[in-house]
Amino acid sequence: MTGGVTAKPDPFIHPITRLSICGLLAAGADWVEFAALRDAAGISDSVLSKQSVVLEDAGYVQVRKGAVGRRPRTWFRLTAEGRQALEGHLAWLTQLEEAVSASTRDVTQVTASSVNGRTAPRTVPSPD
Amino acid sequence: MRDVARDPVALERLRAQRSRLADRMRPPWWYLTGVAILYALVFASPFSSRYLPRGDYWAIVVAALAVSCLLQWGLDRATGMKVGPRPLRVLRDGLFYYRPGRPARIAMMVVSLAAIVTEASLIRHGLLAAAIVVAALAVAAEVALQQAALRGIRQDLRDGGGAA
Repeated sequence: MTGGVTAKPDPFIHPITRLSICGLLAAGADWVEFAALRDAAGISDSVLSKQSVVLEDAGYVQVRKGAVGRRPRTWFRLTAEGRQALEGHLAWLTQLEEAVSASTRDVTQVTASSVNGRTAPRTVPSPD
Repeated sequence: MRDVARDPVALERLRAQRSRLADRMRPPWWYLTGVAILYALVFASPFSSRYLPRGDYWAIVVAALAVSCLLQWGLDRATGMKVGPRPLRVLRDGLFYYRPGRPARIAMMVVSLAAIVTEASLIRHGLLAAAIVVAALAVAAEVALQQAALRGIRQDLRDGGGAA
């Protein structure tokens, strides 16, 4: 299932939660506040805190902490390095998605022809 | 931890999350009222420059700037997103991509310029009531265009901002 997949996955963005965080930060806003990011990603406070630290240590995310009155506010921004890594990772994901749909198409065609010709398929063609 | 390679709907999920984020960029009720006050101050400048002393004129300019900063700060806090000034087009894959809010932004500048020039001309000819009508219409147009510009930002966030 690697046919046509030339881009490489990024190990830091590979887990789906970190992909969500980076993908949302790259959506177009300069800075996104903790609660907005948490709600949009549909994750808990602790998961966002933990994963944002990993991304910050990798240099993909910039974190700014402040306070409004006594309430702490945390803002996140994707760095240039993070944006570049995300673009590469999304290219890999897109190629993977295309490869998966191509192989699904092949399997469907083989199954349909075997049913019509009443012969069992011997092999499933790989997408390469 | 879940792995995207085993989740074939990862990209679809990201699109849905971006859509949720974009939906947050809806202005609270006070924002559009504030925008109307801001543009009322802007379109009052041709009157104030003619009928008010110089000091009062500058007070109106400072008030307009203060309202503008306050509105931006309030919108950032209410939506949880800071969307600063951005170019009207971006280069992506060797092609220029025009941002969705571009026509509204251009129209806002055109309306501002046209309204101020028209008001100044009407005031010079002594047609004060007509100048006030032009200012009121321009304020209404700017509020509508501001809503269109925010719709453009929402669309931009859904599309990924012309970036990744």
